[in-house]
Amino acid sequence: MISLRGTVAVGEFSRHFSLDVGNEVVGIFGANGIGKTSLLRTVAGLCPLSEGKLCVNDEIVDEPAKNQFVQPELRNIGMVFQDHSLFPFMTALDNAAFPLIMRGMKRNGARKLASEVLEQFGVAHVSAQLAPTLSGGQSQRVAIVRALVGAPRAVLLDEPLSAIDEDSREGVRNLIREHLGRLGVSAIVVSHDRADLDHLCTRIENYTR
Amino acid sequence: MNKVSSRTPRFVRIGAFIGVVFLALPIVGLLKRVAWSTLWGQLTDVATRDALRISLYASVCATLLALVLGLPLAWCLARMQFAGRRFVRALVLLPMVLPPVVGGVALLGAYGKTSGLLGGVIDSLFGIQLTYSLWGVIIAETFVALPFLVLALEGGLRSIDTKYEEAAAVMGAKDFTRFMRVTLPLLKPSLVAGLMLAWARALGEFGATITFAGNIQGRTQTAPLAVYTMLESNQEGAYALSFLLVAICVGVLVGLRDRWIGGASQ
Repeated sequence: MISLRGTVAVGEFSRHFSLDVGNEVVGIFGANGIGKTSLLRTVAGLCPLSEGKLCVNDEIVDEPAKNQFVQPELRNIGMVFQDHSLFPFMTALDNAAFPLIMRGMKRNGARKLASEVLEQFGVAHVSAQLAPTLSGGQSQRVAIVRALVGAPRAVLLDEPLSAIDEDSREGVRNLIREHLGRLGVSAIVVSHDRADLDHLCTRIENYTR
Repeated sequence: MNKVSSRTPRFVRIGAFIGVVFLALPIVGLLKRVAWSTLWGQLTDVATRDALRISLYASVCATLLALVLGLPLAWCLARMQFAGRRFVRALVLLPMVLPPVVGGVALLGAYGKTSGLLGGVIDSLFGIQLTYSLWGVIIAETFVALPFLVLALEGGLRSIDTKYEEAAAVMGAKDFTRFMRVTLPLLKPSLVAGLMLAWARALGEFGATITFAGNIQGRTQTAPLAVYTMLESNQEGAYALSFLLVAICVGVLVGLRDRWIGGASQ
């Protein structure tokens, strides 16, 4: 469950959001610059609300009026960043295993689990490569694995298919949908590609300026 | 492409050549004065060995101490907005522009055993006398080396894209873990460069050391102090030790370039 009613302000930008996400995949559709990324950053805890209230699974994680704010590291959210943000000094495998290790899993177990999911996403063969040596598509797949591999309470996907080429788009979409279904948590997918959202989401919200 | 800027005018080449000669000539002069046949004997002389040992030990300790003090400082300067930030920055840079002898005098004012602000307290609490002791050498070297480390780390911290730390936070990495596993690896090139500069500055420290810690052979006489002292009594020894210091510095430069600095610029 994600429930957000409040204002996000970043510099000049400011927008009021009203959004409820049950155990479903909600798509946010709209042009660039309407605050889609800011919305995800707010849910993740990287961009605090300036006013209003945000709950994840009935826990208030951000409510400025009551000085309530849960730090991102305590929210247990899986997120694909628009530019992937893979750690450049780590291999693909260590990137994918990172959230598992952070949540207390032993290194070996984490790597084993992460490499299984990398395999499903077709990037097992680049496991040992440093992140900056990956192609855009490979890097995005690793970022998707990194977001889904733990047991996050919610999943946020920012343009998760932007770097995947047309031929393998269908397969990656299906894999994401399958994983989200298995996790059974709230997920928000942001995209400006309507077809991606139609395939991934149970419901689409259209944002305009 | 770029034809105009890739064409180097003659006067620039001549200027650069004069610069190279200016820098290289003293090294050549030094090498020419080294008495190669007695080099080993001079370097294994007891005063030289003591000076080298003290220099290496104190400069490494000073570099580590500068790291412990400098990292939090650099962090705050790079990433915090606070009242007095300009003042703190100026304070950090001061030892860099201050004549080292004045730095030594100032250190006496702070940590001198009888006259210093804190010297007496430290002496009675821990029984450590900072002046005229190895501790004094380390303190003096830290004082002059710290700005180099802070500047390098501050620049490094500013240039790190915070998106990696944000991603780590979302994945559950708490403050300390995030610093150790994400910030530090990203900071490594600046950290290595800063440590190297600070260490070189500490190794070459003269003025603050001789003022604050004295020039006691076997206790506070570092290699530069020994070179200066020997120049009066034993020129061969002075040149031998100078040669060794040049060799150490060149060795460090070459070693670091291959291992870290070259890798960082990829």
